[in-house]
Amino acid sequence: MSFRTEEAINKRAEELFLAQEVANYRRTDRMFAWLLVMQWIVGIGTALWISPLAWEGRVSFTHIHVWASILLGGAIAGFPVLLVLRLPGAPLTRHVIAAAQMMASALLIHLTGGRIETHFHVFGSLAFLAFYRDWRVLLTASIVVTLDHMVRGIFWPQSVFGILVGSHWRWIEHVGWVLFEDFFLLLAIRQSLQAMRGLAERQARLEWTKSTIEQQVEERTRELRQENIERKRAENDAAKAQEDLLNSSRMAGMAEIATNVLHNVGNVLNSVNVSAGLVSETIRRSPAPGLSKLSVLLQEHQEDLGAFLTTDSRGRQVPAYVAQLSVHLKASQEKTLKELASLQVNIEHIKDIVAMQQSYAKVSGVKEVVDIPSLVEDSLNLNVGALTRHRIEVKRNFQKVPPLNLDKHKVLQILINLVRNAKYACDEAETADKIISLSVYLDNGSIKISVADNGIGIPEQNLDRIFQHGFSTRDGGHGFGLHSSALAARELGGSLSVRSKGVNQGANFILELPLPSTTSVHEQ
Amino acid sequence: MNPRWVFFTLCWLAVVVGGSTMLLFHSQTPGETGRAPEYWPLASRIEPTPERPTLVMFAHPKCPCTRASIEELSTLMARSQGLVDARVVFFKPEDADENWAITDSWKRASAIPGVIVQTDSEGLEASNFRATTSGQVVLYDAEGRLLFSGGITEARGHEGDNDGRSAVLDFLRHGKSVFTATPVFGCPIQEKTPDKIAVKQL
Repeated sequence: MSFRTEEAINKRAEELFLAQEVANYRRTDRMFAWLLVMQWIVGIGTALWISPLAWEGRVSFTHIHVWASILLGGAIAGFPVLLVLRLPGAPLTRHVIAAAQMMASALLIHLTGGRIETHFHVFGSLAFLAFYRDWRVLLTASIVVTLDHMVRGIFWPQSVFGILVGSHWRWIEHVGWVLFEDFFLLLAIRQSLQAMRGLAERQARLEWTKSTIEQQVEERTRELRQENIERKRAENDAAKAQEDLLNSSRMAGMAEIATNVLHNVGNVLNSVNVSAGLVSETIRRSPAPGLSKLSVLLQEHQEDLGAFLTTDSRGRQVPAYVAQLSVHLKASQEKTLKELASLQVNIEHIKDIVAMQQSYAKVSGVKEVVDIPSLVEDSLNLNVGALTRHRIEVKRNFQKVPPLNLDKHKVLQILINLVRNAKYACDEAETADKIISLSVYLDNGSIKISVADNGIGIPEQNLDRIFQHGFSTRDGGHGFGLHSSALAARELGGSLSVRSKGVNQGANFILELPLPSTTSVHEQ
Repeated sequence: MNPRWVFFTLCWLAVVVGGSTMLLFHSQTPGETGRAPEYWPLASRIEPTPERPTLVMFAHPKCPCTRASIEELSTLMARSQGLVDARVVFFKPEDADENWAITDSWKRASAIPGVIVQTDSEGLEASNFRATTSGQVVLYDAEGRLLFSGGITEARGHEGDNDGRSAVLDFLRHGKSVFTATPVFGCPIQEKTPDKIAVKQL
């Protein structure tokens, strides 16, 4: 704790101590105001009880004690009470109260005929005055008692009797007892003030601690608020980055799908081209020109067509030529029709490819009832070009599973990603037989889709990190595919897990999709 | 400090000190004291004790100051240990019945061992002993000679050590005392009527 802090605490402790002192003065003032009034009433009652009347023979009149209790007692109590009302807590008030209390003692002693028991009122009053915790008040009271006893003990007997009586110095004994009590009361006041001061210091320290804690809490709250803002900003940035990555991935996926589609369409177009060439060649080689020459020849001899066909050497070849021509035309027609049929099939194939691409290019987020094996098959179809190019054998083991109501696009995204990763794994492996096995089966209340390969496998140390964002072992990979697939699986209410026995031991990714509850099935 | 309040305080002090002083004056002012006869008055119907001193206290039964005198008498009787016989003679108006004098002071005096209590109709016995103030004590020896006359309280209605009680005890124990007379603090035994004042003057 610094010197300045200690100084501030001490200053605050002093303020608290003074405030407590003033509060104590005022509280004690009020107590004494009530006490003085009560003493006045008791004094009047005492006078009325002990000496209501003075007598002369058979004649009586009000005793002077009654008047003294009313008038003198009222004067003794009245002014201090007025001070309590007008100047509460002021030094003058408590000193006047101290003097008044001692005078009230003297009056009560007088009214009770100097009873020794009434002298206890003096000692009780001193103890009560100690409530002020102000030694000066005790001093005032003691001075008043001393003067009273001194006057009664010394001056009065002399002035009345002209002699010194035997108890002349007894006032000193009385004052001695007062001082005796004062001594212990002063000790008590000192201890009480020390306790008050200690209390004030503790309170000041407590206040300081509280304010410090409040300040710390405020600062920490501000920091947390700032951190929260920054965290939200970071989350927004991350979400945006994820969205960008998703878009990039989606674009990349779409590009890959487009490549596959174009490849498939290209293959089909080869056939279309071949078919078109064949049709063109067939038509080009058709005997149509010979038919034209025959037509010209027949027109030249239309006047003597019969003679020409029978006598002329060329005319006699016409029937055979026509027969041969019809055979050629028929064969050409059949060939052309066949190629046109093939062309139609290929065009239909292209149409299917384009239609399938269009169906998966729809916006995701819409749930629909999906047959899982068909979806797996579609994912293969979308990768079929790449799989065929890389000579990868695909094995299927699809059990009968109930259809699920889910976001088809998300599942397809996961499966395409898994199949593509399996293809890469197989590519990088040194094995000759590249196999990807796809399985669909029911297990423990859910549908599981297994995509297994005999590729390069995954080292054990990477199994825990494989789904982390940004983790990739493939050149050119950005570590987003499996991460987003795992997230998508979670969004579907399922999970994505991986198993691998190690390097060159292949890998098996399992997508688990929960079966709906009975109610949900009924709803479906 | 506001000078106005200081002034008020000084005024207050003057009032209460003045009032207390007046009260003190009153309490310390003795009643009229008559000098008792040097010998036991023959006119008295009170019988002295022949073999030891006799103490007589004259009292007004309703005087509040006299209670202190009775208490002092009680102390004195306790300390004298049978050296003296005491009588307390309570004033009673002639026309009043006996109950007029039966007060707390009467009862308290009756309870003191060695003390005989009696009424004094119209204060005749008090007159015989020239006692005018309630609480006055006279002490005569066995031969009827006056040893002491005065009060046995220090002030009006105030108990406590006093010269009168000490003087009586000194006479009883040692046969002599510094004081033979002390002031008497109490109510007048009889009212001061013009007739009685005239009688007294005679």
